[in-house]
Amino acid sequence: MGLVVHDVKKSYGDKTVVDGISFEMNHPGVFGLLGTNGAGKTTTIRMILGILKKDSGEINWNGKKVERKNVNFGYLPEERGIYPKIKIIDQLTYFAKLKGMKEGPAKEEIKKWAEKLKVSDYLEMTAEKLSKGNQQKIQFIASILHSPELIILDEPFSGLDPVNTELLKNVIIELVKEGKYIIMSSHQMSSIEEFCTEVLILNKGKTVLQGNLNDIKSKYPANRISVIVDRNIDNIIKDLALEIYIEKDNNYEIKIQSEEDGYKLFKELSNQDVKVTKFEIKKPSLNDIFIEKVGE
Amino acid sequence: MRDLLTVAFFTIKDMVKRKSFIISNIIIILIIVLLFNIPNILKLLDNGEGTSSNDKLLLVDSENIFEGNLEVIKQMDLGYEVEISNEEVSFDEIKEKITNGEIDDALILNSNNGKISMEYIVENLMYVEEVPETLVNAISSIYTNMQIAKLNLTEEELKSMSPEFEFSLKQTEEEKVEGNVAVMMLLSMALFFAIYYCAYQVSTSITVEKTSKIIETLVTSTSPRSIVLGKTIGIGLVGLIQIAVYLIVALICKEVFLEPGVIDSIINFNNVTPFLIGMTLLYFLLGYAAYALLYALTGSTVSKPEDVQSANGPVAILVIIGFYLAYFTMMNPTSNLNIIASILPISSPFCMPLRIMMGIAETKDIILSIGVLLLTIIIVAKVSIRIYSNAILNYGSKIGLKDIVRMYKNKNG
Repeated sequence: MGLVVHDVKKSYGDKTVVDGISFEMNHPGVFGLLGTNGAGKTTTIRMILGILKKDSGEINWNGKKVERKNVNFGYLPEERGIYPKIKIIDQLTYFAKLKGMKEGPAKEEIKKWAEKLKVSDYLEMTAEKLSKGNQQKIQFIASILHSPELIILDEPFSGLDPVNTELLKNVIIELVKEGKYIIMSSHQMSSIEEFCTEVLILNKGKTVLQGNLNDIKSKYPANRISVIVDRNIDNIIKDLALEIYIEKDNNYEIKIQSEEDGYKLFKELSNQDVKVTKFEIKKPSLNDIFIEKVGE
Repeated sequence: MRDLLTVAFFTIKDMVKRKSFIISNIIIILIIVLLFNIPNILKLLDNGEGTSSNDKLLLVDSENIFEGNLEVIKQMDLGYEVEISNEEVSFDEIKEKITNGEIDDALILNSNNGKISMEYIVENLMYVEEVPETLVNAISSIYTNMQIAKLNLTEEELKSMSPEFEFSLKQTEEEKVEGNVAVMMLLSMALFFAIYYCAYQVSTSITVEKTSKIIETLVTSTSPRSIVLGKTIGIGLVGLIQIAVYLIVALICKEVFLEPGVIDSIINFNNVTPFLIGMTLLYFLLGYAAYALLYALTGSTVSKPEDVQSANGPVAILVIIGFYLAYFTMMNPTSNLNIIASILPISSPFCMPLRIMMGIAETKDIILSIGVLLLTIIIVAKVSIRIYSNAILNYGSKIGLKDIVRMYKNKNG
């Protein structure tokens, strides 16, 4: 059950945009779809939504072939857009009705979500009077109003201030608890790391990395040490032939080749009576892995 | 079907709530009211000057050539309020009277070696080239009657001099054309503007949704078919309601502001049958649908608002060709070219209602014309929806004819 994407391909003329990607979502949660600009994320999303025909492969939802007619997924596109001169309540009701809801229940749902996302005061206003962040929250409501089982969020946090980002994160956590399947596409790796257990990285239409995020990270050796000390330790680092990545007010980010380098540094700091407040041997972040995989 | 109606009603609600829509309709209604009040306004202006609508003419017969018979002219409906003087009036005196507004013009009659001279004096000769023909004819007639009376002819002799003529008109062509050509042209133009304006709205609406990226959400909520047809139906209904409102306003204005018979002298209301009204509305809707669906196609290919004009250009040219084909062949409504124009789908909406109004449209031609138009609408709808499905999410470079052909071949959506 859930979503199955199998060997999906799509070309425009001679250009292959999506080249045989496959993944599965067998249980509710957040799946990270990553890639550089033009990697084929939006094309993949459009094929999952059934609005773009794939050249080959299979996309099934709960065992049924995904087609425009039989899917009712939620979608927050990367390209934000709402009717500028129409009242928010009217356009949300319009989208809810197109998704099969009746006007009464639709308006109740709109009020519920508006309260949750703190936009109740704007429902009677036209969209052009709203800030970008609030417009984005309205569009988010439009994508989840009809309570879809699968929700695709393309860059959900871009343009949001920290308060609203937190608000939206809580809503996403809530949706996962309710048993929703969420595909999240984002360039904000910290958000992906925060939410996703499974990820897929696309580059030029091809899958370059795929799997459980913890498993992926565990395969990578430690590459950095984060140290907070009471004095300058530049000489110690130099003597051990290590490279400083970042240094600010005795807070060091040091590049290492293996965990062994870390142990050597720790021993040396101890020998020289340096007071250590923090010492962490770090595995590569998703950001590091992403750059390694798709960076030219 | 439910989505189609949802899109249609949303489109209607959006259109009628727009300030530009409300203001433009108020202006059009005011223009209609104003047009129907032109006779009243002219009357009001005349009354304001304290004069009647007729010119005040001073007729000077100082030599009494007409022996008092000129009084008859006052009973004639010549458009003049005539004042007759048998005293000599100088040019300066006439000038003063014209300047004071006592008279508008003067006609001085003098005999000259057996001839009668007429000197016509007005304030400015800019729009006057000769002594008004009506005055010349009336005065000549009075003079002739005066001279005939002097011959003491019998009643029979008099009757034989002025026989009662009977007039009739006939044409060599078999088809009988009824109606006022100017009114026909006006109706043709009204249909052209109504169809063009409403159809263009479809393109604008689609382009706005695409360029503002609303389409991303919309296209995942319903099918392209529902969006295109829903919009076309919505805007068409608004157009129909607008026409109905204008007609009702016009009819109320006719009853309230116009003197009875003014419109009847221009339009023969016997020709305005329920069949004609029904057919005119049907042709408006069908013509609108054909062009609106074409505009939906071009509207979906636009990525930037500034490209709207150039993308819609080919459809605009097609509408104009269709209109002129109908308009110019209407000069000779019995010609074969006009029959062709009434059947061709690009021109039939502007042409056939007029042929029906003139009473020269044959039933088989009407059926053929509607059939061709319906077939065109179905084909255009299919092509437009398919291209819309492929073009609407394409924000790249400008879409050309080649891309449109490629998109039509791609059976996406």
